[in-house]
Formats: sequence, structure tokens, C-alpha cells
Amino acid sequence: MSDDCRLEAVGMVNALGAGLGEIWPRVMAGDVTGLRPPEPDAPPRGDYAGPLPAVPEALARYACRNNAMALAALSQIETPVRDALAATSPQRVAVVVGTSTSGVSDAELAIGEHQRSQRLAPAFDYAQLEFGGLAAFLAEVIGTGGPAYTISTACSSGARALASARSLLRLGLCDAVLAGACDTSCGLTSRGFAALHAVSAGRTNPMSANRDGLTLGEGAALFLVTRASGGIQFAGVGESSEAHHMSAPDPEGRGAAAAMQMALHDADAEASDVAYLNLHGTGTPLNDAMESVAVRDVLGPDAPCSSTKALTGHTLGAAGAMEAGICWQVLAEGESTLPLPPHCYDGEPDPALPKLHLVAQGETAEPAGRRLVMSNSFGFGGNNCVLVLEDAR
Amino acid sequence: MRLVVAGWAAWAPDLETPEAWRAWAERPTPLAEEGTPNARFLPPMLRRRCTPLSKMMLRVAFDCATEDLRADVRTVFSSRHGSINESLDLLRCVVDDAPLSPARFSHTVHNAQAGLFSIAAGNRCASASIADRDGTMAAGFLEAMGHLEREPETPVLLVAGDAPLDPTFAPLVPGPQVPHALALRLTTGGEGTEISFALGEARDRGALPWPDAVEWLRFFLSPDASVSIPGARCGYTWRKETSTP
Repeated sequence: MSDDCRLEAVGMVNALGAGLGEIWPRVMAGDVTGLRPPEPDAPPRGDYAGPLPAVPEALARYACRNNAMALAALSQIETPVRDALAATSPQRVAVVVGTSTSGVSDAELAIGEHQRSQRLAPAFDYAQLEFGGLAAFLAEVIGTGGPAYTISTACSSGARALASARSLLRLGLCDAVLAGACDTSCGLTSRGFAALHAVSAGRTNPMSANRDGLTLGEGAALFLVTRASGGIQFAGVGESSEAHHMSAPDPEGRGAAAAMQMALHDADAEASDVAYLNLHGTGTPLNDAMESVAVRDVLGPDAPCSSTKALTGHTLGAAGAMEAGICWQVLAEGESTLPLPPHCYDGEPDPALPKLHLVAQGETAEPAGRRLVMSNSFGFGGNNCVLVLEDAR
Repeated sequence: MRLVVAGWAAWAPDLETPEAWRAWAERPTPLAEEGTPNARFLPPMLRRRCTPLSKMMLRVAFDCATEDLRADVRTVFSSRHGSINESLDLLRCVVDDAPLSPARFSHTVHNAQAGLFSIAAGNRCASASIADRDGTMAAGFLEAMGHLEREPETPVLLVAGDAPLDPTFAPLVPGPQVPHALALRLTTGGEGTEISFALGEARDRGALPWPDAVEWLRFFLSPDASVSIPGARCGYTWRKETSTP
């Protein structure tokens, strides 16, 4: 069985729009205006403001904003997904997706109704709230008969889903996988992160001396993953746990560095092969401090890196897939020169942190050898997952 | 890839030892609906934050992963409902506009049990937390096999389990709602029972009288050569191949 793992196509929805056609120019322009207060006096949030497709009538039990968002991303890659299904049997197509919110925003309405009347809102179904519901919904929509399950490791969920997709292909259990993640804004995460004092008062300011927290966001990124050679390949993954604290990383960045090293090793690559790193870069004091140490230790001070969370917000369970999608586009857009997403912040690096090469607007990379990019995702509960993508066209 | 069950541990109310489970597997009966294991093996600081599901899953994880292995085993935690009951308490706070406890919020993530295990065992290895509507055990196996595919030389600890749902949601979910957890130590060779795992057609054979992880253990302890557990879209079949002492 071939070890190739091709990321064939990406569907994406976030605060910058629907589809990479809308999103990519705004990423490259460093457009932070997608992060806006959802209501007066609230901190900014990266909500998607556009229309979402209706969940089909036959799948009404799954009808919630989170599944509608995933459906919007899926609709962008409908043709390649249909082609992949037609090329094999439905039993040979799997769905592995990540979420940390599932349909919580709709469940909040249902529970409000329950508090008032002791009855759940009639439109509510448990399938909207349970984590496995997202994978089941997508499997129903595309009509697969293969395994379909959800990964929920907080902010690394989406990255891990892609790693699991590659393993299912390598194990020969399927021929194609719909993999990625979707999270949507809800009261639970907004209030929960506020209670942890993790939310920035203004727009997030990653790696700055003045950073004061993250800005939440929402969105979906779904990939069609196959065993084909060429194209944009999933080249490596590194995973680790922190063994430290439920909501704070090891300040020395050991878990993060271990995952980055492991991803390089898995991709059979050297640190100098990495043309661009998409940082986890949440903008919280602790994450950015430990991540700077890990990046310096593994890639050194010269590796171009940026956090695109200043543009999309932190899409939590979707972030790992979202940022893998941005890395995918860096490779897909580039030929000998790779366009790099700018690092948007107030321009005041933190003198207490190791110096990193934060990408300036308009900057490009010209890799001499392999064309590799890396994406970091570090989850709550201490779950780290680092991906390496490679242009093999 | 070879798949070997090198060890197991399980917990349900009144079924706390391997002997009790072997006796149960000879004459299986529906499981008790209430109970929580003690978590005296955990330091008090961690124990205080443990939900009933965390106590069950960590108990079987610690029983199944021997002390020399605990810090070095990769893990998969598979649960359909995870921390939904605790999330529901927080959702009621959101609806009532009441403040949230930051510690409770960080313990309602689906990977709370994985995080607690990593801290309690000093484990820095790869870990996945997953959910499937109908095939918690099968999805857990797939994810564990994924770990073994990526690195076949070291074992994987698969922990599956669920706690009964809060009465607000329980009527919406058919099937038995009983507290239970199962841990398996899976390897690609060495001592244990070699098994095969295959995907197949979904065949509805009616609801199981106990959760699918418990049905899997019943099969494993029985003389049966194979078991098929249906999911919503596909079925899963496990077969015993060989056993080495």
C-alpha cells in the first residue's frame, strides 16, 4: 500500500468569507476587520457573517448552525468528493472530523426553553449536541458507508483529524477520507474563555509585548484526502501530551517542541526545509511565550512564521484544519516563490521572548530544496499536534 | 498489521475485578445503573476535579497500564457522551447569565480524561479523544490502530466508557445507559490474544442489552470466535486469531 497521502481539495468558511477564493486575498492583505464585537461592549470575535446553506429536510434532526457551517465548507468541494465516491464504493469512504463545540449554540436555546417550560425546544435533537453528530451528519450528506467519527481534543482536533485520515488510508481501511473540522461561536466558549481570563479586550495581538489574550472565531475547513501521489501531500505529523495542567502549557515548551521534532522526523525533513510555520499563536501570554521557545529550539530564529489567528480568530476545534488549509493554499498558490501570510500585530515584539522571524506583509519564501510548510496546534488539556505539508507537484 | 490484545481492565458497578467480569461473561445480565469507582490511586488535587466518567476511565487506564508503562503508552479515549452532563450544568449557567467556573469549564472538554491521565501518569505521549454516535468501541479501535500504524513498536492504551446521561437528555438516546469503562492494551506483537478487525455492511440485529464496549469484553472473555457489532452505516467484526500465554 502506498504511503502517499494527498490533500486533494479544501473547503473553508471563516470570518474572512466562504471559500479560499474570498478568504485568501484577505489573508494576504492582513485584513483584521473580520474580528468585530458581536454585540456592543463585547470583545471582538471572528464570526462568519454570510449566509449558510439549509440542512436538508431529511436530515432535520442534525439542523444546527455548526452542521450548516460544515455543509457550507463541504459544498465547496462537492465535485471532487462525488468523484472520489464514484471511483470506489461508499463503504471505502470514511469521515473523520474534529469539533469542540458541536451544536452548543443551538443547545443553549433548547436548554433556555427547558429552564422555562421543562421541555426541550422541539427543533432540538441530541444528535446536534453530541460530538459524534458532526461526523454522522457529514457521512449522511455524502452517503458513505465507511467509518465516521469525531475527534475532540480541544484546539488540536482539526489537525488530529487529518493525521487519523492518513492512518486510515495507510491501514488500507478506506480509499478516501473527508477530514477536517468545524466549530461555531457559542455562549459556552465565549464565557468559558472569559472566565479563564484568556480573552483579549481588543483584537488579539499575538507575539506582542502588549498581548493580552485570544480572540475567538468560528469556521470550518474540510479536506478530501486520498492515497494519490503528487499534489499537496500530508508529509508528516508529530503528537505529544503536556502532562502539565488542564488549561496552561508547560512554560518551557517541551511538549510543543517534541511534537515539532516528531513532525519533522515523520516528514523525513530537516528544520531548514521548513519554508513557513503557521504558529498556534493564540495571543495569550502563556502560549506565545512557550511557543516562541519551542520554535527557537526546533526551527531556530530565522524560520518565517505567522499566526493567522489575528485574521480569523481562534477557531478552537477547527483551528488545526483551518490553518492546515491556509498552509495548503501557500503551497497551491506558490511556484518557485511561496507567498507567506503576514503576521498581524502591533509591531512590538516581546523582548522577554526569543526572537522569531515574524512574516512581514508582502514577504515571500524561495525554498531551494523541498517545499515544506508546518502548522502548530496546541490544545487545552495538553494535547499537541503539528502537521507538515509538502508541495509534490 | 498484527493486532494483539496484551491486557485489559474493566469497571462497572459490582464488576470491579477480572474474576467478576469472567463470571459475568459466562452468564451475562444487564448491568447496574448506578455507581462510581473510588479514585484513591489519584492525588487529592486531581481526584477533586474528577467527574464520574473521569474516575471510571482513569481507574481502568491505571489498572490496565502497569506502572512501568503508564508514562510511556499512547492513549485513545473513546466516549459517546464524554463530559456532556457537566457541560449541561455550564449551559444552564450560560442560559441563566450566571458566572462560569474556569476550572469546571476546562474539565468539560471532551479530552478531559486524556488530560487528567497525562497529568496523573506523567505521560507526554500522543493521545486522541474521540466520539461516535453508534460505534464507540469500533471508532476507538480505528484510532488505536492509527496510533499503531504511525509507530508500531510501542503499545497503545484504548479506553472506552460512558456515564449515564442527565435526565434532560436521557429520553432522547435509546439503548442502555449504564456506567462502564473498558481499557485494552494493544500491541502489534508479543504476548496476548491476536485479533483481526474488519469493516462490513451494517446489519441491524436489534439493540444490545449493554453498551458496545461491554459487548466487546463479553466476546473477548467468551469461547466465541468472533463478534459483529453493527453501527449506523457500517458493521464491525472482530475475530480471535491466536492466543499466546
